[in-house]
Amino acid sequence: MIADEATLARLMVAGQKGDKSAYNVLLSEVGLWLERYFRRRVPPHQLDDLVQDVMLALHNKRATYDPERPFLPWLAAIARYRWVDHLRKVYKHESDLLEDNDAIEESDEEAIAARVSLERLFVHLPKKQAEVIELVKIEGHSIRDAAERTGQTESLVKVNIHRGLKKLSALVEKAE
Amino acid sequence: MKPVRENLIASLTEELEPVRAFNARDGMGLLAIAAALTFAAVVMVEGFWHGIVSGEASAFFWITSGLLALLGLASAGAVIAMASPRVGNRFDAPVWLSAMMVVLPIGALLSAMPQQHGLDAIVNDMYGMHCLTYSMFSTVLIGAALTLWLRRGATVSLNAAGWFTGIAAGSLGALAYGISCSIDSITHLGTWHIAPVAISALLGRLIVPHLVRW
Repeated sequence: MIADEATLARLMVAGQKGDKSAYNVLLSEVGLWLERYFRRRVPPHQLDDLVQDVMLALHNKRATYDPERPFLPWLAAIARYRWVDHLRKVYKHESDLLEDNDAIEESDEEAIAARVSLERLFVHLPKKQAEVIELVKIEGHSIRDAAERTGQTESLVKVNIHRGLKKLSALVEKAE
Repeated sequence: MKPVRENLIASLTEELEPVRAFNARDGMGLLAIAAALTFAAVVMVEGFWHGIVSGEASAFFWITSGLLALLGLASAGAVIAMASPRVGNRFDAPVWLSAMMVVLPIGALLSAMPQQHGLDAIVNDMYGMHCLTYSMFSTVLIGAALTLWLRRGATVSLNAAGWFTGIAAGSLGALAYGISCSIDSITHLGTWHIAPVAISALLGRLIVPHLVRW
């Protein structure tokens, strides 16, 4: 069970003040939250790297959390930003299946989690862009493979990935 | 938990130092200082047009200045908020105010076109280039202050941050320069005092994202 919004916010405020034990608990909880957050949108072998990347970002940018505002939307904005950056960098040609048995635990935080989720970003993308980003950047298929599966030409796949990622980065804060 | 992550958490915890949490008031303070210095520099270099306080200034002067002030503050407010990211942040006000601003150059063109040589008068305005150049100089300090603020923060909407920084610097810079300019016709204000906003916005979009990427 991952800590709720109020607990995470309280731990973060304590961390900003230099409370090491609170910060240790916060990072452990954030690690679990991020793992769940990214599970369906990152191949398993890249998941831990991305989680650690966001934890480092949280540490380096911890002063930018405004204690008067909720914690999870702040964390999710950073997580989305690092995720889009990660998608730009990775260019894997190997096929890698995502975990399907990722049923999300029921909790009081479901509403917040849904509002800040990565799925919300994809809703705003045209279907052709979303499907090639999923195939190439998330599932690790080649451009040619994605072109065959979607019926798009290879150059169109590349253009759609480029435009889709550009749009995703513009939606990091907006899409909820 | 995986050992690598445990080690990371342990090392981040170990190096934890207290930090001062971001506050929008600090950003507003920085903006206020940059704007005050810009206004002071304009008065020292270009002087102050006393027509503003003696009642000579036309309605166009007040409308242009009011719109520049609103656009500048709305854009600067968006930039300041962007340093502390959040899913759910929306920055619609500067977008709508930018659209509203387009009314001024359109008004300038529509009022100039029916006149003989009206458009030539705008293009060949002997003070136009001076106003444009000095308005651009006036954007520098405000643009730098907002960029510095963004660099300290965790901006995640880089392109929007670039646009808004440019628009804020352009609007407030043109507003500051405006207190020295005694030409208060719609044709002059609607073109030569608005062009710096568009140029600065474009420069902001091109330059700022590279400076605030993290």
